[in-house]
Amino acid sequence: MEIVYLLAETILNTLLSIARLALFLIPVLILIEIARHYQVIEKITGRVKKALQFLTLPQEAAFPLLAGMFFGIVLGSALIIDYAREGYLKKRDLLLIGIFLSISHSIVEDTFILAVFGANPLILVLTRTILAIIITRIAASLIDRFNPTTNQ
Amino acid sequence: MSALAEPVKRGLTKSIQLLLLLIKIIVPVSCLVAVLDYYGIIELIAGFFSPAMALFGLPGEATIALILSFFVNFYAALGVITTMSLSSQQITVLAVMIGICHELPVETVVCSYTGLRIPVSAALRIFTALGAGIFLNLIYNLVLGG
Repeated sequence: MEIVYLLAETILNTLLSIARLALFLIPVLILIEIARHYQVIEKITGRVKKALQFLTLPQEAAFPLLAGMFFGIVLGSALIIDYAREGYLKKRDLLLIGIFLSISHSIVEDTFILAVFGANPLILVLTRTILAIIITRIAASLIDRFNPTTNQ
Repeated sequence: MSALAEPVKRGLTKSIQLLLLLIKIIVPVSCLVAVLDYYGIIELIAGFFSPAMALFGLPGEATIALILSFFVNFYAALGVITTMSLSSQQITVLAVMIGICHELPVETVVCSYTGLRIPVSAALRIFTALGAGIFLNLIYNLVLGG
């Protein structure tokens, strides 16, 4: 009998935390969709030139990188496949975008959800973004040094 | 205003879908954890991994959240977190690790379209998550002095 109470209590607590999450999640997802509607990412791609230069990526990489970072890895990857087919990006650029996005993607949604459960959102975003930048930069040097054939 | 109707509707639909998905995943996971805990199985697993988890300043139970995050998804790990009592430092460290490494069976495949091979991206994310956990715990201990 005790276990029935335990389960009922667990289900109740879990539903409560999901309800609390809903309060934040619904407005955030609506804002994300509004940002997509107004093509915010297209508008800021020009402003990340310096960051891209540091990552040794061309200007064309800005859109899939930012879209994946803010809206999710599936969208980012879909754009990447499209870009690859169109021939905008080299093999090494695609690989580097993949490395960056595997570490840092959908940072708005993920961070909000984890913050509702008590995590510090600033530390979350900074750690993931900084690590993604450092690791992508290191990968860029390694690829260019040891595998120049991907550079086409 | 009518221009906004479409994105608002899309955002609402997406949130409802995501919340339903969350209920479907988090409720069963937290029930499973509660039952395993009731029979002392969580304690067993936690005891075994507690030396390793100490590297991140986390209790042994966090192992279950990490494993579920790595191999199932983000939300299954949240199901475990709701059953644990953690300090804000511990939640942040755990959240960073989960944020970096989650849902490997799906996301490594998605990422492989960029040319990043599946085992490479899995290893990259697991080691980055573990490294970030150790590093962040160290920083916290240095800054907070304990």
